[in-house]
Amino acid sequence: MVEYTGKRLIQLNINGEQFSLAVEPQETLLEVLRNQLGLTGTKDGCGTGECGACTVLMDGKPQLACLLLAIDCQQVKITTIEGLSTGRQLTSVQEAFLEEGAVQCGFCTPGMVLATSALLTENSRPSEKEIKKALEGHLCRCTGYNKIISAVQQASAKMTRNVT
Amino acid sequence: MRLPKFSCVKVASVEEASRLLAQPDVETCLSAGGTELLPRMKYGLSRPQKLISLKGVAAEAPVLGEDGSIQLHALMTLSAVAASHLVQENAPVLAAAAAAVGSNEIRNMATLGGNLCQDSRCLYYNQPHDFQFTAPCFKRGGDQCYFIPAGKKCRAVFMADTAPALISLGANVYVVGPVGSGSIPLEKLYSNDPLRPVTLASGEILSRIIIPARPMQRVEAFAKFSWRPGFEFSAVSVAVVLDLDEDRQTCRSARLSVGSIAAGPLRPLKAEAVLAGGRLSDKVITAAADQAAAEIHPVPHHGYSRVYLTECLRAQVRRVLHSAIGPLAKT
Repeated sequence: MVEYTGKRLIQLNINGEQFSLAVEPQETLLEVLRNQLGLTGTKDGCGTGECGACTVLMDGKPQLACLLLAIDCQQVKITTIEGLSTGRQLTSVQEAFLEEGAVQCGFCTPGMVLATSALLTENSRPSEKEIKKALEGHLCRCTGYNKIISAVQQASAKMTRNVT
Repeated sequence: MRLPKFSCVKVASVEEASRLLAQPDVETCLSAGGTELLPRMKYGLSRPQKLISLKGVAAEAPVLGEDGSIQLHALMTLSAVAASHLVQENAPVLAAAAAAVGSNEIRNMATLGGNLCQDSRCLYYNQPHDFQFTAPCFKRGGDQCYFIPAGKKCRAVFMADTAPALISLGANVYVVGPVGSGSIPLEKLYSNDPLRPVTLASGEILSRIIIPARPMQRVEAFAKFSWRPGFEFSAVSVAVVLDLDEDRQTCRSARLSVGSIAAGPLRPLKAEAVLAGGRLSDKVITAAADQAAAEIHPVPHHGYSRVYLTECLRAQVRRVLHSAIGPLAKT
């Protein structure tokens, strides 16, 4: 049994780096990422788990940073959108989103890209139905989703080409 | 949206959590996945001073008993339930229901026990109350209803998808409590009272779900209807489990369960009786669907009218029965 009352030092592993941070029990991972670490790629949309804008990968699985207490994230590897590319080298998913025009205002894009990356890691050739199922829960108010679905298909084709 | 201040105790076991919940020095709340509790806290609907968090308790893997029953740990995430081969093979209706809840991200966080212990919901209740609907409604301890202004009672609806699936399977739940532990039929967990839909007493925690052994001749299916899957709770969800005779054409017994239609999951018993003992023809399926629509009076919710929900229910019962007996055509 561990009790958290008031500010307390915790260790978080974010994008391969260890951080020591003083957080309150009620602080969400989203608040810590944006306000303490300046990692503003993770977007603060609805705050109640409906829009998918704050999606991060926890041990490779997409979860919602607005519904995770920072104190509960100490034993996992957290990946945010800032940790996907290496230097200026974009991933296939990011490139496909750019090439297909799947980005308009960009607010949903980090969540979409992370959810897509997780999907293609598990299933490199998803059907359109599987793509829609994986991206359910990610609201986009600009693109009408079609461009996003083609970007996922393009990224999948690119990645499987690179492998074979 | 920020969370109010609270302290948090991370426990190592369900029993420890139960002990802490039973002796509250301050207002406490149990948190598993947090996908329902945290939005409630942000809206000011739950105001615990202390959170008892089960995040540090590992969910045990599902166990297949010697008698063929399956034991599921309540802290399994819905993704894990949907992806479990044991569940897919022995209780496909539950795998389908777990896969239908929320979005992929929600399913990676939310737990099976949390889904079963969900509070009832209402369009006017599940939102912030700082600029509209500020006077408390029945569910917030007041004496009015915003949904039906002349209403004399609360109309909140129980909307968990896994409950109808597990009820149609005849599942039991093992409850750990301060005065003892034991298993009860899942159906007994629900009171059909919108103000307190789940009948767990203070300190009681649902720790395991036990699904009885699957007979050889069983078919089952689940259907959820929602205008915006992934974003919205069900308008109506239906689960069916049919035990068949050796000929795989005659229905020995049927269990239907309907969710998101009242303050608890409901079973249309007369519709079950229509199915039992006869061959599963189109005519029988249509009669069962009509009977279900006649005996269940849906509570309108989230913009769906009663008439619309009745027709939805009729269509979903037909769909779920056809999809359950679909595999029979091939055998």
